[in-house]
Amino acid sequence: MSASAKDSQSRSAVSAGSHILQVRNLQKTYPNGTRALRGVSFDVKRGEFLVVIGLSGSGKSTMLRCLNRLHHPTGGEVLYTDRQGQQLDLAKCEGEQILEVRRRIGMIFQHFNLIPRHSVLENVLYGSLGRTSSLKSILGMYSAEDKAKAMNFLNLVGIGEKAHFRAAQLSGGQQQRVAIARALTQSPDILLADEPVASLDPATCHVVMDYLKRVNQELGLTIICNLHFLSLVRQYATRVIALKGGELVYEGSPADIDEAWFSRIYGEGAKEVHIN
Amino acid sequence: MASAEVLVSSGGAKFRQTVFDAVVFSYLAIFSVVAVVRPSEEQLLNLGENASLFGAFAVIGAILSVILQHKNIKTLGWMIYAPPHLKQRSQDELVAPMHKSLWGIQLILAVVVTTLVGFVMTKIDVLQLLEAERFWHAMRLFAELASPNLEILPKAVMKIIETIYIAFMATAIAVPVAFVLSFLMARNIMGNSRAGFGVYFALRTIFNVSRSIEPVLWAIIFSIWATFGPFAGMLALTVHSIASLAKQYSEYVESVEDGPIEGIESTGAGRLQTVWFAVVPQVVLPYISYTVYRWDTNVRMATILGFVGGGGIGTMLMEYQGQAKWPEVGCIILVIATVVWIMDTFSAHVRAAIK
Repeated sequence: MSASAKDSQSRSAVSAGSHILQVRNLQKTYPNGTRALRGVSFDVKRGEFLVVIGLSGSGKSTMLRCLNRLHHPTGGEVLYTDRQGQQLDLAKCEGEQILEVRRRIGMIFQHFNLIPRHSVLENVLYGSLGRTSSLKSILGMYSAEDKAKAMNFLNLVGIGEKAHFRAAQLSGGQQQRVAIARALTQSPDILLADEPVASLDPATCHVVMDYLKRVNQELGLTIICNLHFLSLVRQYATRVIALKGGELVYEGSPADIDEAWFSRIYGEGAKEVHIN
Repeated sequence: MASAEVLVSSGGAKFRQTVFDAVVFSYLAIFSVVAVVRPSEEQLLNLGENASLFGAFAVIGAILSVILQHKNIKTLGWMIYAPPHLKQRSQDELVAPMHKSLWGIQLILAVVVTTLVGFVMTKIDVLQLLEAERFWHAMRLFAELASPNLEILPKAVMKIIETIYIAFMATAIAVPVAFVLSFLMARNIMGNSRAGFGVYFALRTIFNVSRSIEPVLWAIIFSIWATFGPFAGMLALTVHSIASLAKQYSEYVESVEDGPIEGIESTGAGRLQTVWFAVVPQVVLPYISYTVYRWDTNVRMATILGFVGGGGIGTMLMEYQGQAKWPEVGCIILVIATVVWIMDTFSAHVRAAIK
């Protein structure tokens, strides 16, 4: 196959709108018997900003962690199509392959999960741990390329000048931006965000969401994000799925979530809270 | 299933409760028998027979406990081991006096019996302290101790320095070993795979046993294996310190927050990287703090080890005490007290600075 043919094939494979993930009948039962996911199926298109909604305990967090294998699903498939058009079932990966899955899928968390005593720059560099040997990373010998990348992403999220502060000295919103920079340093194909603004005040909330939106639009990164507030969902999501009791109960456009859907997802009597 | 787990754990609680009740019953029974029968020295030394008697009483106790459990009467074992959700006490029970419940009577009996036996065992005789001759003898000894012979001060200072370094070397050798062991002995690091759990369990067992062997015993072993002197004392302290540090360190590892671990894992970092970047930063300060405290403790222990051939100031103290040279002993005690006080203050300052 000639180089140009290969090129055109890969270009066609990664064209926007094609599936990056096809989740089929995903199940997770914890060792204590809790069934967190009872067979969830949905597709994720390359480049979209997919938001997952649902009550606490509906299985949102578990689902995200099953995608990047921080948790291990007990059934179903997670078919991933990479930029070359190669397909891989993430749910079947084992051992070293699991680490490779995590490298390709970045993640940010509700409580940021940084190393508070280490510097902001070090925290961002930890995004490159997956491609750095244990010895080199422990000795702090990161490649020049990774260092440049880390600094670049720190500037992208607007806190380049705080590179040498301890992470603990930053505000919550700033810490979450460091976490975004860390995830970007992985050069991931997908970014997962588990309640990224749930522990931030309303004003900071939008700053962080705006950075996620920028990452989504400018870098073309596919984002799957758990959110609580429907007003944020309407503002940022390109598509929404809803979980309830470990099952998928809604899939569609954020604009289509009306009152009837709202009470179905959140239960009768629930009232929407607005955040501006 | 979750409900099955509750059943299993309440089964475990019932078992422990029964064993506890059985032991308490047998304990009370056997001392009642001793009080009534007044056995001879020879009979008391018949370990096999006495153990079987204890076992027999324990079986009766266990049967009683099971019967009481079925009748819903709360025994002392129940009070200790019953799962919390069953322990919700009604208003009546909360105000009821202790001696009106079975478990209360059990507890009172156990305390009373133990105290009485304690009096007999320790041969308490206050009158001994009031005999004039004995009293003045002790006072003379105090007087001699209180006028220390400072001629031996230079030697005592050299020896206490030796003791401080024995303690330091033992700590310094133990720290890196305990550092590595602490991760292998932490459930949150090792409990994920069966092989890991095996290593965890084996190490825990080995170190629980070695920690229960007092450093004095290790010093006796090493003073024979090596020779009498500082090296033997240092080895004994090292063994004890490794066990003690590893245990304490691993508890710090077990109490780390999961967030940073998840954060580092999510980048695709390997096992070693996750421990190094997510766990180590969380435990470094408590490690240093406990290590300084350990060195301080080791100085005091090294002194005691000198008595059984571990070198340092302890050995010197033993020699003068053996010859009843009380003014010299007084001087040594003075030196030890000063150094222990300084070490104690120093380690408290370091630990406060780290927090």
